[in-house]
Amino acid sequence: MKNLIIFLILFSFEVQGQVKVGDLIPTFTLLDSNNKKVSTSTFKQKFILIDFWASWCAPCRLGNKKLVELYNTVDKNKIDIIGISLDTDRSKWIKAIEKDKINFTQLIDPKGFDANTAIQFGVDALPSKFLFNEKGILITINPTDKEILTFLNKK
Amino acid sequence: MKHLNKFKIIFVLLLIIISTNANAQIIKAEIRAAGLTCSMCSNAINKQLKTLSEVINVETDLNTNTFIVSLKEQNELSPKVFKEKVEKAGFFVGSLIITAKSTTIAQSSYIKINDKNSKGSEVNFQVIDKGYVTDKEYKKLSKSYKNSATYTLNNEDDFHIKIID
Repeated sequence: MKNLIIFLILFSFEVQGQVKVGDLIPTFTLLDSNNKKVSTSTFKQKFILIDFWASWCAPCRLGNKKLVELYNTVDKNKIDIIGISLDTDRSKWIKAIEKDKINFTQLIDPKGFDANTAIQFGVDALPSKFLFNEKGILITINPTDKEILTFLNKK
Repeated sequence: MKHLNKFKIIFVLLLIIISTNANAQIIKAEIRAAGLTCSMCSNAINKQLKTLSEVINVETDLNTNTFIVSLKEQNELSPKVFKEKVEKAGFFVGSLIITAKSTTIAQSSYIKINDKNSKGSEVNFQVIDKGYVTDKEYKKLSKSYKNSATYTLNNEDDFHIKIID
């Protein structure tokens, strides 16, 4: 029993500040690329794929191209894709959005790995993806495109 | 009386040891990490470096892919600790450039490989030992320094250093 309690305490520290499968989407409000506030409370009744990236992260930039392709093929009534950039330099972020022709919502949390959302989500490496269902519950971390489509088609 | 003298000598010796240690100190380390994945895309190196109580701050320079580590006064860190932390994070050191008080490199663990001297109270140098440069560079360096008595021994507590202006 004692051991179990110790284990639970250790475990709760372990997961503190990072979402895990089954958790509700953390609440946050960030600015988008048009300088408009976007808040989690506006996400409703849809799957949400959140993608953490930065302009200087080469693998993320490759990923952006794939995400744009994915976004162009999915039913937008079923899913939204939201990019969160950890860029500290806003202009580099805007340039990257243009260059990668990103057509889905782009938010910025300009503090690198110290950004609030990076801590909330437990982002320790870029890129990182989180797929939430229409109830706002995390269903998988870093899914492949195929996995995302499978989840969507189940609905 | 005799005893007192002995103590005096020990005390003075201790003072000398303490004061030389206080003068020898790494101020800043610039680490370029290498590995199979994008080192700047991971928070792991940053986290590992920050576990050192001597670290004041870790900055990242995204243009040069470098971690810039500033250190507290009077620390006694050796270049080895940076290598260990980077490797613990799952990466390798691609280059390590250190800014230190000039007296630091008078310690016997530092072996200068070029004739340059530091001009001021601080010195910049690159550690060129195995594990502190890329494998490719190490191969080149070991050819260049094959006549050195110590370079190819790879003693992990000896640091071969190249003074930089």
